[in-house]
Amino acid sequence: MDRNVYQIDVKDNPAAETEVDERLLRTVIRFNTLLTAIVMGFLGGAGLFFMTLLSLNRGLPNPGHYMNLLGVFMPGYEVSPTGAWIGLLWGSVTGAICGAVLYRIYARNLRLHVKDFILRNNSGDASYHLIVPIGGSSLGLALGTLTAGSLIVTTNWLVFRGTAEESVHARLLENFLPGYSVSLPGSLIGAIQLFVFVYLSCLLWSWIYNGIISVRHR
Amino acid sequence: MNSISRADKALLKIAFCRIDVTAMATATGAVVGLLLFLATAVLLIKGASPGVEVGPHLEMLGIYLPGYTVTWWGALLGAVYGMLLGAAAGAIIAGMWNFTHYLYMTAMVIRASWMRMMVD
Repeated sequence: MDRNVYQIDVKDNPAAETEVDERLLRTVIRFNTLLTAIVMGFLGGAGLFFMTLLSLNRGLPNPGHYMNLLGVFMPGYEVSPTGAWIGLLWGSVTGAICGAVLYRIYARNLRLHVKDFILRNNSGDASYHLIVPIGGSSLGLALGTLTAGSLIVTTNWLVFRGTAEESVHARLLENFLPGYSVSLPGSLIGAIQLFVFVYLSCLLWSWIYNGIISVRHR
Repeated sequence: MNSISRADKALLKIAFCRIDVTAMATATGAVVGLLLFLATAVLLIKGASPGVEVGPHLEMLGIYLPGYTVTWWGALLGAVYGMLLGAAAGAIIAGMWNFTHYLYMTAMVIRASWMRMMVD
C-alpha cells in the first residue's frame, strides 16, 4: 500500500516510528469534524430553543425585547412559540457550522499534537492514556478565529443592510472592545481585540484543564 | 497487512481520547465565571455620567440570572452564576463528546466482529 506520509522529526527518539498516515489523518479529521458539528449543533439548537421559551415564560411585560434582535441575523426568528422552533433550526445550523469550523482549525495542528504526544510518551504503549491534554494554543487559534470572524460577519451584515447607524446595541461592544464601531474598520479593530482576548482565555482554560487531568490521571 | 505505526497510534489516541468531564466542567466554569466578573467590573470601573444607570443592558442578564445586577456584589454573584453555568455547559459538552465517540467505537467494534464472523 502506498503511504503518503508526513515525516515528523523526533531527534530525541530516532528509533520511534513517527510517520502519520495522511489518509488516516484526513479520515480522523473528517470524523471528528462531523461529531463536533453534531454536538455543537445540538447545543446551539437546544440552547436557543430553551432561552426563547424561558424569555417567553418569565412573565415580563415585553418578552424578547432584546432577543428579537437575533431576527436580524436569523430570518424568521422571534420570541414566540413558533419562533422558538425556528430558533431551534437556526441554532442547530449555526452551532453545527461553528463546531465544524472550530474543529477544522483546531486540527491544523494535529500533527504537532502527535509529535508532542510521542515525545511525552517515549516509554511506549505502556503509557497509553485515554485522556490527553488539549492544546490551548490550537484551541485559542480556532475559537479566536471563529469569534473574530463572527464579529466581522455580523457587524458588516448590519452595514450591508444599511442599519449601522441604528445599531445602538451592537455599539455597546465599544465598552469592552475599545475602537470597535459598526463599520468595516471598526469591526476589524474589534475582531483583533476579540481574537487576543479569546486566545488568552483559551490558554487559561487549557492550563486549568490540563493541570487537573495531570493530577487526576497521573 | 501493514502494521500501524507509532505515530498512527498516537493520532488515534488523540482523536478518540475521552474528555475528562470533571476537568472540563471545572475549567469552563472558572473561565466563564471570570469573564462574567470582568465584564461587570469593566462597566463599573468605566462608570457612567451622573444620574445615568451603569450597564443597563448587561443587567438584562438578571432575567436569566435572578439577583444579578451591575454592581460589585452583582459581579461576585455573576461570577458564581458563570461558574455554575459554565461548569454545566462544560460537563454537557464533554459528556456529549464522550457519548458520541463511545457510540461510534461500539458500532465499529460490532461491525468488525460481525465481519470477522462472516469471514470465518
